[in-house]
Amino acid sequence: MPARLEIGLKRDLADAEGANIRRKAKDYFNIDTEDIRIIRVLTIDAALDTAQLERIRTVIFTNPVTEESSFSPMAKAFDWLIWVGFRPGVRDTAGSTAVEAIEDLLKTKFGPDEAVYTSKLYVINGKLSRDQAQNIAREILANDIIQQWRVHSIHEWDPKEGIGFIVPKVVLDHEPRADTISIKSDKELKEISSQRSLALHNSDIPIIRQYFLREEIQKERKKHGLSLPTDVELEYISQARSDHCNHNTFRGLFKYHDLETGHKETVDNLFKTCIEAPTLQIKEKKDWVISVLWDNAGVARFQDDTYYTITGETHNSPSNMEAYGGAITGIVGIYRDPMGTGKGSKLIMGLYGYCVGPRDYDGDLKPHLHPRRLLDGVIEGIRDGGNKSGIPTPYGLLLFDESFLGKCLVFVTALGIMPSRIGNESSHLKTTSPGDLIIMSGGRVGKDGIHGVTAASETYGASTPAGHVQIGDPYTQKKMHDFLMEAREEGLITFITDNGGGGLSSSIGESARFSNGCQVDLHKVPLKYDGLNQWEIWVSESQERMTIAVKPENLDRFMQLSEKHAVESTVIGQYNDSGYLRLDYKGETCALIRMDFLESDFPQWEFDAEWTPAELRGLREPVLSEPHDYGLLLKTLLSRPNVCSRNWIARQYDHEVQGGSVIKPLVGKRRDMVSDAAVIRPILGSEKGIAVAQAINPVYSRIDTYHMTAVIIDEAVRKILAVGGDPEHLGGVDNFCWPSVQYDPAQNPDGKYKAAQLVRANWALRDYCLAYRIPLLSGKDSMYIDGNLEGPFGERRKVSGLPSLLFTVSSVIEDITKCITMEAKRPEDLVYVLGETRDELGGSEYYQMMGHVGLHVPKVDAKDLWPLYLCLHQAIQEGLVSSAHAVTRGGLGVHLALIAMGGELGMDIRLGDAPSGNGLSDSRILFSESAGRFLVTVAPEKQKAFEKVFSDMNIKQIGVVTESPILRVQGSQGALIIEAEVFQLKDSWNRPFGGLI
Amino acid sequence: MSPVKALVLTGYGLNCDYETDYALKLAGAVSHRVHINELISDQGSNPHLDLSTFHILVFGGGFAWADDHGAGVVLASKIRFNIGEQVNRFIQDGKLVIGICNGFQSLVNLGLLPGFEENYQERRVALTYNDSGNFINTWVNLKINPKTPCIFTKDISHIELPVRHGEGKFYASTEDIKSLFENNQVVAQYANADGDRANGKWPENPNGSLEDIAGICDPTGRIFGLMPHPEAFNHFTNHPNWTEKKRILEKEGKSIKNQEGDGIRIFRNAVEYIRERYKA
Repeated sequence: MPARLEIGLKRDLADAEGANIRRKAKDYFNIDTEDIRIIRVLTIDAALDTAQLERIRTVIFTNPVTEESSFSPMAKAFDWLIWVGFRPGVRDTAGSTAVEAIEDLLKTKFGPDEAVYTSKLYVINGKLSRDQAQNIAREILANDIIQQWRVHSIHEWDPKEGIGFIVPKVVLDHEPRADTISIKSDKELKEISSQRSLALHNSDIPIIRQYFLREEIQKERKKHGLSLPTDVELEYISQARSDHCNHNTFRGLFKYHDLETGHKETVDNLFKTCIEAPTLQIKEKKDWVISVLWDNAGVARFQDDTYYTITGETHNSPSNMEAYGGAITGIVGIYRDPMGTGKGSKLIMGLYGYCVGPRDYDGDLKPHLHPRRLLDGVIEGIRDGGNKSGIPTPYGLLLFDESFLGKCLVFVTALGIMPSRIGNESSHLKTTSPGDLIIMSGGRVGKDGIHGVTAASETYGASTPAGHVQIGDPYTQKKMHDFLMEAREEGLITFITDNGGGGLSSSIGESARFSNGCQVDLHKVPLKYDGLNQWEIWVSESQERMTIAVKPENLDRFMQLSEKHAVESTVIGQYNDSGYLRLDYKGETCALIRMDFLESDFPQWEFDAEWTPAELRGLREPVLSEPHDYGLLLKTLLSRPNVCSRNWIARQYDHEVQGGSVIKPLVGKRRDMVSDAAVIRPILGSEKGIAVAQAINPVYSRIDTYHMTAVIIDEAVRKILAVGGDPEHLGGVDNFCWPSVQYDPAQNPDGKYKAAQLVRANWALRDYCLAYRIPLLSGKDSMYIDGNLEGPFGERRKVSGLPSLLFTVSSVIEDITKCITMEAKRPEDLVYVLGETRDELGGSEYYQMMGHVGLHVPKVDAKDLWPLYLCLHQAIQEGLVSSAHAVTRGGLGVHLALIAMGGELGMDIRLGDAPSGNGLSDSRILFSESAGRFLVTVAPEKQKAFEKVFSDMNIKQIGVVTESPILRVQGSQGALIIEAEVFQLKDSWNRPFGGLI
Repeated sequence: MSPVKALVLTGYGLNCDYETDYALKLAGAVSHRVHINELISDQGSNPHLDLSTFHILVFGGGFAWADDHGAGVVLASKIRFNIGEQVNRFIQDGKLVIGICNGFQSLVNLGLLPGFEENYQERRVALTYNDSGNFINTWVNLKINPKTPCIFTKDISHIELPVRHGEGKFYASTEDIKSLFENNQVVAQYANADGDRANGKWPENPNGSLEDIAGICDPTGRIFGLMPHPEAFNHFTNHPNWTEKKRILEKEGKSIKNQEGDGIRIFRNAVEYIRERYKA
């Protein structure tokens, strides 16, 4: 008989979590409640006697100062009560730590069938209807995919029984087996593929069939008791050939056709021509580029004896389905990439980027989650994933746009660090050799993540495990991280990679290529619960697992360390040079695939790409006169959701753990302005730093993705230079998020245009990486950012996200004490604009506010700009610059205001002095988003030296910083066009999200 | 001169061990990061891990056991039921214990704090959920009680440090809080930039702590727990306004190269105390 321990805060203590739920109920659904209090529940399914139970209640689980607890129901006077617990099979970390604590106290061991399950009771007072209570349960408290819930009204409550004893134990009454699959014809295999959600690409099917029909393959298979392909094998091939793992789109053949000029061009493989080729070319000249284009993350030199690693990816679809779970799994997942790079790197930083629909969206469409809830969930997911990993999260971006109602974008980026040598070996190299043991460390395998999104449509029974969305578990992973770093230091790791998409199939399949073969005993893989089929064990995406190759002679020590860190590690097979990947289950072979099969000539994907330039698409410059009230206009711009303060996000993220914070996410006198870049000191005894900055602005894609990409790369570069980044060390990470580019006359009628947009973006990526000499240390693409949203009449409307590129730049800073921040520092400092302002308002925040897109998108003349960037770097290194800031969204007007607000100082500005194209009106000078510009303040005593550095450059002094906090802007005709109190500007900027914590 | 030895706990989700270890080294200690399991299993068998050979025991920041069941709860029970005796002896020997953030939460769950009448077994105070209901990372001003016996804050009247927590609200009964003040066990209180008490105002008091309490010590002053992170202010450039301060220093002709942060003072006080006491 299980016991149920209920624990709640004492009545006189405010329940902050309850208050948060009340706020959400009000914000999301306009439901008023009087009080919500939470009772934690531990359902203890173990043979403990009353004395033991009482002991764990008082000694461990009840804080006598703040809590009260009982083994009988605690909820008494309420209107509604909601119970929320996990579905069977969902990882219950708190349940496991409860077991650990109980075992420790009672000096007992739980049996294999014993466990503790955690759940929560929400005790609600308030006059709600049942529908409203259900709504709170379904939409705020529970996540349908991983949790179950029950709603009780006081009238149907049994105060003796309470919620009863709910034990979400998985019972899979199923004997695991491997099925064979008939491959009589392409058509048949195609049908099976679709029935089993294998998602085999049509053009791959004949190749797969031919392989299994080959005589020498048949012969070899017979030796192992195999004939027809098994489901294990087809699942494996499907995973390996997926766009996610294989990047078939980026490796595709694009037939590009410019509909204006008639120019036609075939682009064979965007990855090879626009990413790999320029990166290799740059690597030749940059000896700090250590390892690129093959491992889980790129590797660059930090200093002679230390490398850093960096990579980024997205977790869009899962976050769109379940914001919290998707995001936490995303950040915890990306952390495994640097951990699995080279022989393993220690995590030092994480970054985030969110693109979502407007937070106050009240239009016709019904997104799966309203953007406000979605954003809340995503923010919380990254918070818990990052903070609990002990890794600082000092930088990130947020962008609102209606196009992301269809699918949100969640970017996660991670950096690690490792010594350049481990023993006598280079840390960035790794290989597997025959005889090496295959070890799986970390979490256990369940049905999680099998078949990704297709699983979402399945129905759930009472004991069926939850499927595809997972909840990342930073605790389990942190333990594994600490363990692996110690094992690496001792030189015990020969090869390491993470289990992400495709699970073991991908980690072992790819690592076995080095030794040219492997044999795995699937029954040795530790499972969360029995009953998984062989193919499920092989492709499950259960989180927090790494695959490691260890030499037999190092096994004992490896296992000893694993035990010390309380991490589960299991030998599940061995690498060999047989030329085959072989999987066995209890002595029977269930898969045998030639190692070279996946490298055979699968047909390349093909795309038609038709480019229609903006003007042919009907885009024009708007007809706009000069405004009368520039000040009001500026304040209004500052309150726009994509400009205003979003500080509540950065504050929830621990950005100082590890003790090396140098430039924080929020800077300025009141520490409330967004920094251009983040800088950390990864080795505490050294004054060398790593800087990172990111940029994204898909609105420019409405005009031309070539220039969107160019501007984004330039923006990220400028941001990193603004804090003191080194122009000779700029590492890039490209994260593309694109709507589907496969043309379909009904489902994707503009697919050809989207394909052309992708080609053009890649061309710009190639051109500007070469121009700024940025090797692409890492990158990833996510190709299907579309959604079909329900409208008011039950119709479904397709919403495609704007083609987006998040570009990350990393740099090494020789001396962090020379870093600078963006805010004005002292009165009388001189204000300079570096770079020319042109008539480039297409896609600008200003035009958007006026309801236009425009035509004149900013263009980047890298050749022109580069010398200016070098001069800025020199000036910063020589200590001549008080503050520097990259001018981006909102133009000079917005960014002058931000600099003044940051320092809580005023400025007198002469707009006419800004370097600009002839005859630009004041509003255009103020709000143009021309690339290549900085705002810089310089102490008067350093004026001469500063200007000397920039002789012949396009820079101008446009004013001074003033003591009185008023921003005064003189128009080019001499009239005072803005005179605004800096505190009022700040109010406008703070207002939209100022109430959020 | 024999070394002052410090032990920083690691493992099970603790995460500030590297910088805490670094801060102790800067302060002059010989510091070791030691996994909780090593400390427990090797007591007695491994002389290098014999707690009695150390002088300063550090419960650092992090999320021990994921903070499930209350921050610091599981770590506290792990320590108490495995090496509780050794820890008690360590304290009886007059050595120093500091708990930072998650470590502070562990110390109050262990009962090492507040340690009224040197009863080191009882949970009398708590660190519970921030009033805001959310995690917060922000810098705070701390006002140090000039009369406190706390070893760690000697000669410090004010200090700026970062907080980073979701459960940092100091809570205790009115009588116990009264006793804490009477015994001068209240070491640090959240203050505003002028050094005056925050009076509960957010974000100066970032979590709603009663009486703005940010850190307390036991009656001897040798056990200290605080929510803010002194180890995270180990270098001049950790301070959020250092780029502005730098200019002032430069005007005075001072360089900021290799300038340590104020947080190190807390660790240096500990090291110096041990040196003095053990003539180490």
